[in-house]
Amino acid sequence: MIVNMGPHHPSMHGVLRLIVTLDGEDVVDCEPILGYLHRGMEKIAENRTIIQYLPYVTRWDYLATMFTEAITVNGPEQLGNIQVPKRASYIRVIMLELSRIASHLLWLGPFMADIGAQTPFFYIFRERELVYDPFEAATGMRMMHNYFRIGGVAADLPYGWIDKCLDFCDYFLTGIVEYQKLITRNPFFLERVEGIGVIGGEEAINWGLSGPMLRASGIKWDLRKVDHYECYDEFDWEIQWQKEGDSLARYLVRISEMTESIKIIQQALEGIPGGPYENLEIRCFDREKDPEWNDFEYRFISKKPSPTFELPRQELYARIEAPKGELGIFLIGDQSGFPWRWKIRPPGFINLQILPQLVKRMKLADIMTILGSIDIIMGEVDR
Amino acid sequence: MDNQFIFKYSCETFPKKWVKKMERSEHGNRSDTNTDYLFQLLCFLKLHTYTRVQVSIDICGVDHPSRKRRFEVVYNLLSTRYNSRIRVQTSADEVTRISPVVSIFPSAGRWEREVWDMFGVSSINHPDLRRISTDYGFEGHPLRKDLPLSGYVEVRYDDPEKRVVSEPIEMTQEFRYFDFASPWEQRSDG
Repeated sequence: MIVNMGPHHPSMHGVLRLIVTLDGEDVVDCEPILGYLHRGMEKIAENRTIIQYLPYVTRWDYLATMFTEAITVNGPEQLGNIQVPKRASYIRVIMLELSRIASHLLWLGPFMADIGAQTPFFYIFRERELVYDPFEAATGMRMMHNYFRIGGVAADLPYGWIDKCLDFCDYFLTGIVEYQKLITRNPFFLERVEGIGVIGGEEAINWGLSGPMLRASGIKWDLRKVDHYECYDEFDWEIQWQKEGDSLARYLVRISEMTESIKIIQQALEGIPGGPYENLEIRCFDREKDPEWNDFEYRFISKKPSPTFELPRQELYARIEAPKGELGIFLIGDQSGFPWRWKIRPPGFINLQILPQLVKRMKLADIMTILGSIDIIMGEVDR
Repeated sequence: MDNQFIFKYSCETFPKKWVKKMERSEHGNRSDTNTDYLFQLLCFLKLHTYTRVQVSIDICGVDHPSRKRRFEVVYNLLSTRYNSRIRVQTSADEVTRISPVVSIFPSAGRWEREVWDMFGVSSINHPDLRRISTDYGFEGHPLRKDLPLSGYVEVRYDDPEKRVVSEPIEMTQEFRYFDFASPWEQRSDG
């Protein structure tokens, strides 16, 4: 019997259509059909400058928005060899880790709701509101912040933000303990989740998985440690990993990643240096030699320097460890404000490919468990 | 084992006919190859002990309309064993068919479908070549440079017919193209 789990469904994964072939309760085959949320992000990028494109990128993965902005800005920075000031790097790391916590929280809620537990869904929104408040204070927007700029961040942290954030960290550690008590040793949860959707380590690498899915299968691969980007090397933190490779392992990896993120945030907040928050040198008008717009009045008094950044004629693959996996962009510049090709490598797109293989011989109810544990967001899968 | 290791090693060991050009830059190393030898080259990269590139991170198509072989298919690869990345590029035109690499890298299935859907570069003997991102009856290949950003058709729900219909596009505002380098640069209409 062929059943269509249509594009609309009550969990928060997004518009994903699954055509499931069933034999009684057992799943014979499952075919995901994508494309319902395709918005042509890559084609739009070819007609926008970087600063014009920044509001679009938060709509790829709308739950971990700082990562999409970070990669959009990291790409041109690496192309143009632009140095980011230390303070900006610390601010970015704090925002990225807060965003990682927010994303894992919003993974946890619908995952538990798919399994059948309604309570964590409300708890995570309570904590997520606490993350939205610092974001709104610093960036002006709760979710779709337009905060990162080439060379730093858009505005400095307001006065008192650091103390508020430290208070949040202390509160959140007790929150995680509450989740552990509620969920992790719950026999119903373990019954539903243990041994479901097992992926071996070699298989995970072959299929190109990344992020918590890879780390739950025993491979210690985290781009923050491997690539030494931003200033993650100055903090003391560990890669979280598990060995079994089933949905329970993925859950445990994400929960412990949240705790590690709090550790990183606390260290960053204590050690944040002073200094500029944006590298204003790069905002100069390259096409003419010494134009009047490079003068003091335009650049520093009216504070509106030229926002277009000319991408050199080179190509580059920049990547970042998003909460869902390895988010990357392949960027080909064209010596003009607009990029020639902007290819987005979404982690959800690749992680979703393994779904048909994992659900064979499982029961119908396990499809939602496995789909939840893969942690996809259709906004970035379809772009 | 640094990032240059795979590149230097493969520079020395690849047969000359496989490689058209190898380029090393600080932003990533790339090697250009011919479409005939693409499969063998990727097989070599995956299985050979000193390159062990097990992961195909990304397969991307690029359109350069000014070139004779206008499409370029870029394979971004990663070796977790040696922590190195390498890029392999081939060029194709509208009728060239490249060989699929699904048998080497299982994750390449969806990427090749996307390259077909967005650019029109098809693969020979691909197990499942269908459109992936565009609408069910879409004609054309969106990411080619000759398809305009707004496309040719727009869809709307038609109440008398009780379904979604496609109609030629109707723009109420002219397409605004912001090409000036500075906000104070005078626009052409003064």
